[in-house]
Amino acid sequence: MKYMIMTFGSAEAGVAAMGRDWMLEMIQFMRKLDDDLRKSGELVSAEGLADGSQAKTVRFENGISVATDGPFAESKESLVGYWIVDVESEGRAIEIASRIVDFVKVPIEVRRVMDAPPDF
Amino acid sequence: MRSVARIEDLLRELAPQVLGALVSRHGQFDTCEDAVQEALLAAAQQWEERGVPDNPRSWLMTVASRRLVDEWRSEGARRRREETSAMLEIPERGRLATDQDDTLTLLFLCCHPSLSVPSQLALTLRAVGGLTTAEIANAFLVPETTMAQRISRAKESIRSAGVRFELPAKPEEADRLRVVMHVLYLVFNEGYLTSSGPSLNRADLTGEAIRLNRMLHALLPTEGEVAGLLALMLLTDARRAARTLPDGSLVPLDEQRRDLWDRRQIDEGIALLTRTLGTTSVGPYQMQAAIAAVHDEAPSAAETDWPQILALYDVLERVSPGPVITLNRAVAVAMVHGPRAGLALLGTLDNDERMKRNHRLEAVRGHLLELAGDLAAARESYQRAARMSASIPEQRYLTLRAARLA
Repeated sequence: MKYMIMTFGSAEAGVAAMGRDWMLEMIQFMRKLDDDLRKSGELVSAEGLADGSQAKTVRFENGISVATDGPFAESKESLVGYWIVDVESEGRAIEIASRIVDFVKVPIEVRRVMDAPPDF
Repeated sequence: MRSVARIEDLLRELAPQVLGALVSRHGQFDTCEDAVQEALLAAAQQWEERGVPDNPRSWLMTVASRRLVDEWRSEGARRRREETSAMLEIPERGRLATDQDDTLTLLFLCCHPSLSVPSQLALTLRAVGGLTTAEIANAFLVPETTMAQRISRAKESIRSAGVRFELPAKPEEADRLRVVMHVLYLVFNEGYLTSSGPSLNRADLTGEAIRLNRMLHALLPTEGEVAGLLALMLLTDARRAARTLPDGSLVPLDEQRRDLWDRRQIDEGIALLTRTLGTTSVGPYQMQAAIAAVHDEAPSAAETDWPQILALYDVLERVSPGPVITLNRAVAVAMVHGPRAGLALLGTLDNDERMKRNHRLEAVRGHLLELAGDLAAARESYQRAARMSASIPEQRYLTLRAARLA
């Protein structure tokens, strides 16, 4: 079963809150994590996203779609990266997320990918 | 084109025999497995161009053995080299009985309880099914490198656990066989239940599960549950063409066009089940197959013999009790004794921890509430079920079902 593990925030806020050394350690941590997931045969994909301030939102306004800059929501609510893992159980997905949370100490979201077979 | 398909069938059939023979001789499962894969790839290329050799099995044995020698040479270990030359002097065993034992041993090895379920599936498809890593990766929608890593880890686990290449000892045989059957069942489900839409590769998993189950049945003809599982697969797969519309949306059993059901598969499944029932102790796969057979034999949904299905569920619940069986039995109870009776039975599952996050409980409740005429409550159940489902076609079906009652 596949799960998406999502992290929120921004690199800028991370450095501001935790300092430069932490940032360097974090980079090592993420490399190691990706490597471990690759070796265990669980990693489907992992990507980091450009800072939320660079995003565009396309809205339907006055009968047509219009692209505007933003979102400018609080950066801690902005999706900044994700892993998709193919694991044996939800418990294992949570275990992976917990390993990240133990390090970054900010919330991580774990969502099932809709890959289950229908039931009839 | 036909000869390519024939070569592929032949290779898949020979793959476990050749691998089993090599492993039983050398022990090193992981190295032998790589060598056989390479031999299969070479055969697929060369046989298509130059025709199938007179003795395809010994051709594969020779090529795979040569790969093994190359591998051991490149390791540079002198001791290995000595073993290798000794190995080559052993005449090839041609007895059929040995091949069959080897194939069976291989299947038990790939479904070893020390492996995770995803590893068991992947390894079985590769080592016993003769599929390539790319094909398996495609079927499970993961990158090939991920699947390759999973397979090599599984092989490593087998080596480090010191698993021997032999049939399980009598006391644990039944448990080990149950694991093997469960793996085949999961491969089948993965294919059957997701065969809608563009992921055509997954339908191949269904065929592969049936093929492997046929093989297992031929090896263990007196195991009633193996026959039962094969019958269940045939009787379920027979409905494949009717269970989805061209756009991938699901058609429930009672609305399916029964003229699209595969008569030949139904007949085969029923014949197999008839031969099996009563010859061994009754098990859950045989009972599920018997229930599928009653559905498949009904000329229309309205003519379904629900009392018979309910009686079979009563037996099934005795042989293998569990909340999922109770859930299915509730539908049969509703069809025989009315929707309120079914709903009452469902109510007994409300506090069952195992069903807390199971969307099927709510989906079935929605269906029974709809039958009972309580449309507002039915709608809420369908909506709850849709939120809990992890399947897109199913979520759409449930959402539309709820919307219809608005």
